[in-house]
Amino acid sequence: MLALCALSLAMTPARGAHELLQLFITQPYLELHTGPGRGYPVTQVVARGESVDVLFRRTDWFKVRTERGVEGWASAGELTLATLADGTQFKVNMGDRAGFASHRWESGVFAGNYAGATLISAYGALSITDNLKLEVGASQYTGNVSDGELAEIGLAHVFMPEWRFSPLVDLGTGYRWVQPKATLATPVDRSDEVGYYGAGARFYLTRRFFLRGDFRKYVVFTRTNENEVNEEWRLGFGFFY
Amino acid sequence: METRIRLLLLSIAVAACSGCASMHWPWHHPKPDAASTASAGTGDVDAPPPSVIEPQVERRQVKVPKISAKDIELGAYYGELSIQDFGAQPVEGGRLDYHISEDLFVEATYGRAKGGRTSYELLSGNVQLLSDAERRFTYYNLSLGYNLLPGEVFIGRNLAMTSALYMIGGIGNVQFAGDQNFAVNFGAGFRVLPTDWLALHIDVQDIVFKSNDIGIYQLKNNLQATIGATVFF
Repeated sequence: MLALCALSLAMTPARGAHELLQLFITQPYLELHTGPGRGYPVTQVVARGESVDVLFRRTDWFKVRTERGVEGWASAGELTLATLADGTQFKVNMGDRAGFASHRWESGVFAGNYAGATLISAYGALSITDNLKLEVGASQYTGNVSDGELAEIGLAHVFMPEWRFSPLVDLGTGYRWVQPKATLATPVDRSDEVGYYGAGARFYLTRRFFLRGDFRKYVVFTRTNENEVNEEWRLGFGFFY
Repeated sequence: METRIRLLLLSIAVAACSGCASMHWPWHHPKPDAASTASAGTGDVDAPPPSVIEPQVERRQVKVPKISAKDIELGAYYGELSIQDFGAQPVEGGRLDYHISEDLFVEATYGRAKGGRTSYELLSGNVQLLSDAERRFTYYNLSLGYNLLPGEVFIGRNLAMTSALYMIGGIGNVQFAGDQNFAVNFGAGFRVLPTDWLALHIDVQDIVFKSNDIGIYQLKNNLQATIGATVFF
Protein backbone atom coordinates (compact mmCIF):
# COMPACT_ATOMS: atom_id res chain seq x y z
CA MET A 1 0.00 0.00 0.00
CA LEU A 2 2.92 2.32 0.78
CA ALA A 3 4.40 1.56 -2.61
CA LEU A 4 1.06 2.40 -4.19
CA CYS A 5 0.95 5.75 -2.35
CA ALA A 6 4.48 6.53 -3.51
CA LEU A 7 3.52 5.56 -7.04
CA SER A 8 0.41 7.69 -6.93
CA LEU A 9 2.40 10.69 -5.69
CA ALA A 10 4.84 10.19 -8.52
CA MET A 11 1.96 10.01 -10.97
CA THR A 12 0.36 13.28 -9.82
CA PRO A 13 0.05 15.39 -12.94
CA ALA A 14 2.26 18.46 -12.83
CA ARG A 15 -0.09 21.15 -14.06
CA GLY A 16 1.43 23.66 -16.39
CA ALA A 17 4.62 21.64 -16.60
CA HIS A 18 4.03 20.92 -20.27
CA GLU A 19 2.52 22.82 -23.14
CA LEU A 20 -1.19 22.27 -23.71
CA LEU A 21 -2.95 22.10 -27.02
CA GLN A 22 -5.24 25.06 -27.65
CA LEU A 23 -8.33 24.46 -29.78
CA PHE A 24 -10.72 27.06 -31.18
CA ILE A 25 -14.42 26.28 -31.32
CA THR A 26 -15.94 26.69 -34.78
CA GLN A 27 -19.31 25.03 -34.21
CA PRO A 28 -22.10 27.07 -32.53
CA TYR A 29 -21.05 25.67 -29.15
CA LEU A 30 -19.07 22.86 -27.53
CA GLU A 31 -20.75 20.86 -24.78
CA LEU A 32 -18.76 20.03 -21.66
CA HIS A 33 -19.86 16.98 -19.68
CA THR A 34 -19.11 16.28 -16.02
CA GLY A 35 -17.52 12.91 -16.83
CA PRO A 36 -15.94 10.98 -19.69
CA GLY A 37 -19.14 9.37 -21.00
CA ARG A 38 -22.17 10.14 -23.13
CA GLY A 39 -24.55 9.94 -20.19
CA TYR A 40 -22.86 12.49 -17.95
CA PRO A 41 -24.80 15.77 -17.78
CA VAL A 42 -23.75 18.83 -19.75
CA THR A 43 -23.09 21.67 -17.32
CA GLN A 44 -21.05 24.07 -19.45
CA VAL A 45 -20.87 25.17 -23.06
CA VAL A 46 -18.06 26.92 -24.88
CA ALA A 47 -19.22 29.42 -27.51
CA ARG A 48 -17.98 29.72 -31.08
CA GLY A 49 -14.73 31.62 -31.32
CA GLU A 50 -13.63 30.80 -27.78
CA SER A 51 -10.81 28.39 -27.10
CA VAL A 52 -10.12 25.47 -24.79
CA ASP A 53 -6.89 23.91 -23.53
CA VAL A 54 -6.77 20.13 -23.83
CA LEU A 55 -5.48 18.65 -20.56
CA PHE A 56 -5.50 14.92 -21.34
CA ARG A 57 -7.45 12.18 -23.02
CA ARG A 58 -9.34 9.15 -21.67
CA THR A 59 -10.58 6.77 -24.36
CA ASP A 60 -12.63 9.00 -26.71
CA TRP A 61 -13.07 11.87 -24.26
CA PHE A 62 -10.88 14.88 -23.65
CA LYS A 63 -10.60 16.80 -20.42
CA VAL A 64 -10.47 20.48 -21.40
CA ARG A 65 -10.17 23.82 -19.62
CA THR A 66 -11.97 26.88 -20.93
CA GLU A 67 -10.64 30.45 -21.04
CA ARG A 68 -12.56 31.10 -17.83
CA GLY A 69 -10.79 28.20 -16.11
CA VAL A 70 -13.78 25.83 -16.11
CA GLU A 71 -12.88 22.17 -16.66
CA GLY A 72 -15.06 19.55 -18.29
CA TRP A 73 -15.11 16.61 -20.66
CA ALA A 74 -15.63 16.98 -24.42
CA SER A 75 -16.19 14.09 -26.78
CA ALA A 76 -13.69 13.39 -29.54
CA GLY A 77 -16.50 13.58 -32.10
CA GLU A 78 -17.32 17.16 -31.12
CA LEU A 79 -13.71 18.26 -30.71
CA THR A 80 -12.87 17.22 -34.26
CA LEU A 81 -15.00 20.19 -35.36
CA ALA A 82 -12.59 22.55 -33.58
CA THR A 83 -9.51 24.04 -35.21
CA LEU A 84 -5.93 24.62 -34.23
CA ALA A 85 -4.47 28.13 -33.98
CA ASP A 86 -3.39 27.96 -37.63
CA GLY A 87 -6.95 27.23 -38.78
CA THR A 88 -6.44 23.56 -39.61
CA GLN A 89 -8.92 20.94 -38.44
CA PHE A 90 -8.15 19.03 -35.23
CA LYS A 91 -7.80 15.34 -36.01
CA VAL A 92 -8.31 12.45 -33.59
CA ASN A 93 -7.37 8.88 -34.29
CA MET A 94 -10.29 6.85 -32.95
CA GLY A 95 -9.45 3.64 -34.77
CA ASP A 96 -10.96 2.71 -38.10
CA ARG A 97 -10.55 0.35 -41.07
CA ALA A 98 -7.58 2.35 -42.32
CA GLY A 99 -5.93 1.86 -38.92
CA PHE A 100 -6.73 -1.85 -39.08
CA ALA A 101 -4.96 -2.07 -42.45
CA SER A 102 -1.97 -0.04 -41.36
CA HIS A 103 -0.81 0.25 -37.75
CA ARG A 104 2.38 0.03 -35.76
CA TRP A 105 1.46 -2.19 -32.80
CA GLU A 106 -1.16 -4.78 -32.01
CA SER A 107 -1.80 -7.19 -29.16
CA GLY A 108 -4.39 -9.72 -28.18
CA VAL A 109 -5.44 -12.69 -26.08
CA PHE A 110 -6.65 -16.11 -27.10
CA ALA A 111 -8.26 -19.20 -25.67
CA GLY A 112 -7.85 -22.51 -27.42
CA ASN A 113 -6.46 -25.99 -27.42
CA TYR A 114 -2.87 -27.22 -27.56
CA ALA A 115 -2.44 -30.96 -28.10
CA GLY A 116 -5.70 -31.66 -26.27
CA ALA A 117 -4.92 -29.31 -23.38
CA THR A 118 -6.73 -26.04 -22.63
CA LEU A 119 -4.70 -23.08 -23.80
CA ILE A 120 -4.49 -19.41 -22.81
CA SER A 121 -2.31 -17.24 -24.96
CA ALA A 122 -1.31 -13.60 -25.36
CA TYR A 123 0.68 -11.92 -28.08
CA GLY A 124 2.10 -8.61 -29.18
CA ALA A 125 3.15 -7.67 -32.70
CA LEU A 126 5.20 -4.96 -34.33
CA SER A 127 4.37 -4.15 -37.95
CA ILE A 128 7.48 -4.18 -40.12
CA THR A 129 5.24 -3.44 -43.10
CA ASP A 130 1.45 -3.55 -43.39
CA ASN A 131 1.81 -7.18 -44.49
CA LEU A 132 4.66 -8.41 -42.34
CA LYS A 133 4.54 -8.51 -38.53
CA LEU A 134 7.08 -9.53 -35.94
CA GLU A 135 5.16 -11.40 -33.27
CA VAL A 136 6.05 -12.37 -29.72
CA GLY A 137 3.74 -14.68 -27.78
CA ALA A 138 3.40 -16.48 -24.48
CA SER A 139 1.00 -19.34 -23.77
CA GLN A 140 0.08 -21.59 -20.93
CA TYR A 141 -1.74 -24.88 -21.25
CA THR A 142 -3.25 -27.21 -18.69
CA GLY A 143 -3.92 -30.81 -19.61
CA ASN A 144 -4.75 -34.08 -17.92
CA VAL A 145 -1.28 -35.48 -18.41
CA SER A 146 0.90 -32.40 -18.24
CA ASP A 147 0.90 -28.66 -17.96
CA GLY A 148 3.23 -26.38 -19.78
CA GLU A 149 4.21 -22.99 -21.08
CA LEU A 150 5.26 -21.80 -24.50
CA ALA A 151 7.22 -18.71 -25.44
CA GLU A 152 7.66 -17.94 -29.10
CA ILE A 153 8.83 -15.39 -31.61
CA GLY A 154 7.97 -15.41 -35.27
CA LEU A 155 6.82 -13.67 -38.39
CA ALA A 156 3.26 -13.37 -39.65
CA HIS A 157 2.37 -12.41 -43.19
CA VAL A 158 -1.07 -10.85 -43.69
CA PHE A 159 -2.17 -11.27 -47.28
CA MET A 160 -4.72 -8.49 -47.70
CA PRO A 161 -4.44 -6.20 -44.67
CA GLU A 162 -6.99 -3.80 -46.16
CA TRP A 163 -9.67 -6.51 -46.30
CA ARG A 164 -12.06 -6.77 -43.40
CA PHE A 165 -11.42 -10.52 -43.38
CA SER A 166 -7.70 -10.88 -43.96
CA PRO A 167 -5.94 -14.25 -43.98
CA LEU A 168 -2.43 -14.72 -42.68
CA VAL A 169 0.31 -17.31 -42.39
CA ASP A 170 2.92 -17.48 -39.67
CA LEU A 171 6.23 -19.14 -38.95
CA GLY A 172 8.40 -19.02 -35.88
CA THR A 173 10.39 -20.65 -33.15
CA GLY A 174 10.43 -20.75 -29.38
CA TYR A 175 10.66 -22.82 -26.23
CA ARG A 176 8.28 -25.12 -24.45
CA TRP A 177 8.45 -26.00 -20.79
CA VAL A 178 6.53 -29.08 -19.64
CA GLN A 179 5.55 -30.06 -16.11
CA PRO A 180 4.05 -33.57 -16.14
CA LYS A 181 1.33 -34.18 -13.57
CA ALA A 182 2.65 -35.47 -10.28
CA THR A 183 0.54 -38.60 -10.60
CA LEU A 184 2.83 -39.92 -13.36
CA ALA A 185 5.45 -42.51 -12.45
CA THR A 186 8.52 -40.40 -13.21
CA PRO A 187 7.58 -36.75 -13.40
CA VAL A 188 10.47 -34.86 -14.91
CA ASP A 189 10.26 -31.22 -15.91
CA ARG A 190 11.80 -30.56 -19.26
CA SER A 191 12.25 -27.77 -21.78
CA ASP A 192 12.52 -28.19 -25.52
CA GLU A 193 12.98 -25.97 -28.51
CA VAL A 194 9.96 -25.73 -30.79
CA GLY A 195 9.24 -24.53 -34.29
CA TYR A 196 5.80 -23.69 -35.61
CA TYR A 197 3.99 -22.89 -38.80
CA GLY A 198 0.37 -22.09 -39.28
CA ALA A 199 -2.39 -20.10 -40.85
CA GLY A 200 -5.09 -17.85 -39.53
CA ALA A 201 -7.30 -14.91 -40.20
CA ARG A 202 -8.22 -11.54 -38.77
CA PHE A 203 -11.68 -9.99 -38.88
CA TYR A 204 -12.20 -6.29 -38.18
CA LEU A 205 -14.98 -5.67 -35.66
CA THR A 206 -15.09 -1.97 -34.78
CA ARG A 207 -12.89 0.90 -33.63
CA ARG A 208 -9.57 -0.73 -32.61
CA PHE A 209 -10.94 -4.26 -32.21
CA PHE A 210 -10.59 -7.33 -34.33
CA LEU A 211 -11.14 -11.06 -33.98
CA ARG A 212 -8.34 -13.43 -34.74
CA GLY A 213 -8.14 -17.17 -35.12
CA ASP A 214 -5.08 -19.35 -35.73
CA PHE A 215 -4.29 -22.95 -36.45
CA ARG A 216 -0.69 -24.00 -35.90
CA LYS A 217 1.47 -27.08 -36.09
CA TYR A 218 4.25 -27.25 -33.53
CA VAL A 219 7.33 -29.40 -34.02
CA VAL A 220 8.97 -30.05 -30.66
CA PHE A 221 12.66 -30.90 -31.00
CA THR A 222 12.84 -33.43 -28.18
CA ARG A 223 15.90 -35.22 -26.88
CA THR A 224 14.49 -38.53 -28.03
CA ASN A 225 14.92 -39.94 -31.54
CA GLU A 226 11.56 -38.71 -32.75
CA ASN A 227 10.34 -35.17 -32.79
CA GLU A 228 6.94 -34.49 -31.32
CA VAL A 229 4.31 -32.82 -33.51
CA ASN A 230 1.41 -31.03 -31.86
CA GLU A 231 -1.55 -29.13 -33.18
CA GLU A 232 -2.91 -25.92 -31.74
CA TRP A 233 -5.98 -23.87 -32.50
CA ARG A 234 -6.91 -20.68 -30.79
CA LEU A 235 -9.49 -17.94 -31.09
CA GLY A 236 -9.41 -14.52 -29.50
CA PHE A 237 -9.53 -10.83 -30.01
CA GLY A 238 -6.93 -8.20 -30.52
CA PHE A 239 -6.67 -4.47 -30.72
CA PHE A 240 -4.28 -2.22 -32.61
CA TYR A 241 -2.76 1.12 -31.73
CA MET B 1 41.17 60.12 -91.05
CA GLU B 2 40.25 62.16 -88.01
CA THR B 3 36.94 63.08 -89.69
CA ARG B 4 36.12 59.37 -90.24
CA ILE B 5 36.74 58.54 -86.60
CA ARG B 6 34.51 61.44 -85.52
CA LEU B 7 31.76 60.22 -87.87
CA LEU B 8 32.01 56.67 -86.47
CA LEU B 9 31.77 57.84 -82.82
CA LEU B 10 28.87 60.12 -83.65
CA SER B 11 26.93 57.32 -85.36
CA ILE B 12 27.48 54.96 -82.34
CA ALA B 13 26.19 57.69 -79.98
CA VAL B 14 23.06 58.23 -82.10
CA ALA B 15 22.37 54.49 -82.27
CA ALA B 16 22.76 54.15 -78.50
CA CYS B 17 20.32 56.99 -77.82
CA SER B 18 17.65 55.52 -80.06
CA GLY B 19 18.09 52.09 -78.35
CA CYS B 20 17.68 53.65 -74.92
CA ALA B 21 14.29 54.98 -75.85
CA SER B 22 12.88 51.46 -76.33
CA MET B 23 14.11 50.23 -72.92
CA HIS B 24 12.05 50.45 -69.68
CA TRP B 25 14.11 52.34 -67.20
CA PRO B 26 12.85 52.67 -63.64
CA TRP B 27 12.36 56.40 -64.08
CA HIS B 28 10.47 55.89 -67.26
CA HIS B 29 6.65 56.07 -66.85
CA PRO B 30 4.86 55.42 -70.11
CA LYS B 31 1.68 57.35 -70.55
CA PRO B 32 -1.48 55.28 -70.68
CA ASP B 33 -2.72 54.97 -74.18
CA ALA B 34 -5.99 56.41 -75.18
CA ALA B 35 -7.82 53.05 -75.50
CA SER B 36 -7.07 51.89 -71.96
CA THR B 37 -7.96 55.29 -70.53
CA ALA B 38 -11.28 55.13 -72.30
CA SER B 39 -12.09 51.59 -71.09
CA ALA B 40 -11.22 52.49 -67.50
CA GLY B 41 -13.44 55.47 -67.69
CA THR B 42 -16.44 53.51 -68.97
CA GLY B 43 -15.99 50.51 -66.53
CA ASP B 44 -15.49 47.84 -69.22
CA VAL B 45 -15.86 44.33 -67.72
CA ASP B 46 -13.33 42.87 -70.17
CA ALA B 47 -10.55 44.97 -68.74
CA PRO B 48 -7.84 43.10 -66.83
CA PRO B 49 -8.33 43.28 -63.03
CA PRO B 50 -6.16 45.74 -61.17
CA SER B 51 -3.11 44.18 -59.63
CA VAL B 52 -3.44 43.23 -55.91
CA ILE B 53 -0.60 43.51 -53.45
CA GLU B 54 0.66 40.00 -52.67
CA PRO B 55 0.84 39.48 -48.87
CA GLN B 56 4.33 38.63 -47.74
CA VAL B 57 3.15 37.10 -44.41
CA GLU B 58 3.88 33.39 -44.02
CA ARG B 59 1.25 31.11 -42.45
CA ARG B 60 1.90 30.50 -38.77
CA GLN B 61 3.15 26.98 -38.10
CA VAL B 62 1.48 25.49 -35.01
CA LYS B 63 3.40 22.82 -33.19
CA VAL B 64 0.78 20.40 -31.88
CA PRO B 65 1.69 19.28 -28.35
CA LYS B 66 1.12 15.60 -27.66
CA ILE B 67 -2.06 14.93 -25.70
CA SER B 68 -1.36 12.44 -22.96
CA ALA B 69 -3.78 9.51 -22.93
CA LYS B 70 -4.62 8.27 -19.45
CA ASP B 71 -6.21 4.97 -20.41
CA ILE B 72 -4.15 2.60 -18.26
CA GLU B 73 -4.86 1.73 -14.64
CA LEU B 74 -2.29 0.05 -12.42
CA GLY B 75 -2.87 -0.87 -8.83
CA ALA B 76 -3.25 -3.39 -6.05
CA TYR B 77 -6.06 -5.02 -4.12
CA TYR B 78 -6.60 -6.84 -0.87
CA GLY B 79 -9.49 -8.90 0.42
CA GLU B 80 -10.80 -12.31 1.24
CA LEU B 81 -10.78 -15.39 -0.97
CA SER B 82 -12.92 -18.35 -0.06
CA ILE B 83 -10.98 -21.36 -1.36
CA GLN B 84 -13.44 -24.23 -1.65
CA ASP B 85 -12.82 -26.78 1.11
CA PHE B 86 -9.84 -24.79 2.41
CA GLY B 87 -11.55 -21.88 4.15
CA ALA B 88 -11.67 -18.15 3.55
CA GLN B 89 -8.24 -16.62 3.50
CA PRO B 90 -6.70 -13.19 2.91
CA VAL B 91 -5.83 -12.51 -0.71
CA GLU B 92 -3.63 -9.83 -2.24
CA GLY B 93 -2.94 -9.02 -5.83
CA GLY B 94 -2.17 -6.55 -8.56
CA ARG B 95 -4.18 -5.42 -11.53
CA LEU B 96 -3.49 -3.74 -14.85
CA ASP B 97 -6.40 -2.31 -16.85
CA TYR B 98 -6.56 -0.75 -20.28
CA HIS B 99 -9.66 1.24 -21.17
CA ILE B 100 -10.46 0.71 -24.83
CA SER B 101 -13.61 2.81 -24.95
CA GLU B 102 -15.91 4.47 -22.43
CA ASP B 103 -17.75 1.13 -22.21
CA LEU B 104 -15.08 -1.55 -22.51
CA PHE B 105 -11.83 -2.34 -20.77
CA VAL B 106 -9.47 -5.27 -20.54
CA GLU B 107 -7.88 -6.35 -17.30
CA ALA B 108 -5.02 -8.57 -16.22
CA THR B 109 -4.83 -9.58 -12.56
CA TYR B 110 -2.45 -11.62 -10.49
CA GLY B 111 -3.34 -12.69 -6.98
CA ARG B 112 -2.19 -15.01 -4.26
CA ALA B 113 -3.55 -16.49 -1.08
CA LYS B 114 -2.82 -19.47 1.12
CA GLY B 115 -5.37 -22.21 1.71
CA GLY B 116 -6.24 -23.09 5.29
CA ARG B 117 -7.07 -26.49 6.74
CA THR B 118 -10.08 -28.46 5.59
CA SER B 119 -12.80 -29.57 8.00
CA TYR B 120 -11.53 -33.12 7.67
CA GLU B 121 -8.03 -32.06 8.71
CA LEU B 122 -9.36 -30.07 11.64
CA LEU B 123 -11.49 -32.93 12.91
CA SER B 124 -9.03 -35.76 12.41
CA GLY B 125 -6.15 -34.26 14.31
CA ASN B 126 -2.78 -34.54 12.66
CA VAL B 127 -3.77 -35.34 9.08
CA GLN B 128 -2.21 -33.12 6.37
CA LEU B 129 -3.85 -33.36 2.94
CA LEU B 130 -1.48 -30.85 1.38
CA SER B 131 1.99 -29.65 2.16
CA ASP B 132 2.58 -26.03 3.09
CA ALA B 133 3.85 -25.20 -0.41
CA GLU B 134 0.86 -26.89 -2.05
CA ARG B 135 -1.55 -24.72 -0.09
CA ARG B 136 -0.38 -21.64 -1.96
CA PHE B 137 -3.16 -20.44 -4.21
CA THR B 138 -1.85 -18.25 -7.02
CA TYR B 139 -3.84 -17.18 -10.03
CA TYR B 140 -3.94 -14.84 -12.97
CA ASN B 141 -6.92 -13.70 -15.02
CA LEU B 142 -7.29 -12.03 -18.39
CA SER B 143 -10.70 -10.40 -18.46
CA LEU B 144 -12.96 -8.16 -20.46
CA GLY B 145 -15.02 -5.64 -18.54
CA TYR B 146 -18.09 -3.64 -19.42
CA ASN B 147 -19.06 -0.42 -17.63
CA LEU B 148 -22.70 -1.31 -17.17
CA LEU B 149 -23.83 1.60 -15.00
CA PRO B 150 -21.60 4.64 -15.30
CA GLY B 151 -22.56 7.53 -13.06
CA GLU B 152 -21.56 9.88 -10.33
CA VAL B 153 -21.21 9.60 -6.58
CA PHE B 154 -21.92 12.61 -4.42
CA ILE B 155 -20.42 13.31 -1.02
CA GLY B 156 -22.02 16.35 0.56
CA ARG B 157 -22.92 19.40 -1.53
CA ASN B 158 -19.63 20.13 -3.20
CA LEU B 159 -18.00 16.84 -4.08
CA ALA B 160 -19.01 14.74 -7.10
CA MET B 161 -16.94 11.81 -8.26
CA THR B 162 -17.36 9.80 -11.45
CA SER B 163 -18.04 6.12 -10.92
CA ALA B 164 -19.06 2.95 -12.71
CA LEU B 165 -20.58 -0.39 -11.84
CA TYR B 166 -18.99 -2.90 -14.17
CA MET B 167 -19.37 -6.52 -15.13
CA ILE B 168 -16.22 -8.51 -15.74
CA GLY B 169 -15.40 -11.96 -17.02
CA GLY B 170 -12.44 -13.81 -18.40
CA ILE B 171 -10.14 -16.76 -18.39
CA GLY B 172 -7.03 -17.55 -16.44
CA ASN B 173 -5.03 -20.06 -14.53
CA VAL B 174 -5.00 -21.20 -10.91
CA GLN B 175 -2.12 -22.97 -9.28
CA PHE B 176 -3.24 -24.85 -6.21
CA ALA B 177 -2.59 -28.20 -4.56
CA GLY B 178 0.52 -28.66 -6.71
CA ASP B 179 -1.49 -28.44 -9.91
CA GLN B 180 -2.16 -25.95 -12.68
CA ASN B 181 -5.81 -25.46 -13.58
CA PHE B 182 -7.54 -23.59 -16.35
CA ALA B 183 -9.96 -21.18 -14.70
CA VAL B 184 -12.88 -18.99 -15.63
CA ASN B 185 -13.62 -15.86 -13.65
CA PHE B 186 -16.67 -13.62 -13.59
CA GLY B 187 -18.08 -11.00 -11.33
CA ALA B 188 -18.88 -7.36 -10.83
CA GLY B 189 -17.16 -4.35 -9.42
CA PHE B 190 -17.61 -0.73 -8.53
CA ARG B 191 -15.06 1.94 -9.40
CA VAL B 192 -15.08 5.47 -8.07
CA LEU B 193 -12.60 8.20 -9.01
CA PRO B 194 -11.90 10.78 -6.27
CA THR B 195 -9.51 12.50 -8.72
CA ASP B 196 -8.83 12.08 -12.43
CA TRP B 197 -5.82 9.87 -11.74
CA LEU B 198 -6.93 7.78 -8.74
CA ALA B 199 -9.60 5.08 -8.65
CA LEU B 200 -10.93 3.03 -5.75
CA HIS B 201 -12.43 -0.39 -6.42
CA ILE B 202 -14.70 -2.87 -4.73
CA ASP B 203 -14.84 -6.20 -6.54
CA VAL B 204 -16.60 -9.52 -6.13
CA GLN B 205 -15.59 -12.38 -8.39
CA ASP B 206 -15.92 -16.11 -8.64
CA ILE B 207 -12.89 -18.03 -9.85
CA VAL B 208 -14.03 -21.42 -11.10
CA PHE B 209 -11.87 -24.35 -12.09
CA LYS B 210 -12.03 -28.12 -12.30
CA SER B 211 -9.75 -30.01 -9.97
CA ASN B 212 -9.09 -33.57 -8.90
CA ASP B 213 -7.10 -32.77 -5.79
CA ILE B 214 -9.12 -35.30 -3.77
CA GLY B 215 -9.10 -37.96 -6.46
CA ILE B 216 -12.27 -37.08 -8.35
CA TYR B 217 -12.87 -34.17 -10.74
CA GLN B 218 -14.88 -31.44 -9.10
CA LEU B 219 -15.86 -27.94 -10.08
CA LYS B 220 -14.34 -25.60 -7.51
CA ASN B 221 -15.93 -22.22 -6.84
CA ASN B 222 -13.69 -19.71 -5.16
CA LEU B 223 -15.46 -16.49 -4.28
CA GLN B 224 -13.38 -13.43 -3.76
CA ALA B 225 -14.25 -10.00 -2.36
CA THR B 226 -11.61 -7.28 -2.50
CA ILE B 227 -11.02 -3.58 -2.16
CA GLY B 228 -8.29 -1.88 -4.14
CA ALA B 229 -6.81 1.29 -5.49
CA THR B 230 -5.43 2.06 -8.92
CA VAL B 231 -3.65 4.93 -10.56
CA PHE B 232 -4.48 6.12 -14.07
CA PHE B 233 -1.60 6.99 -16.36
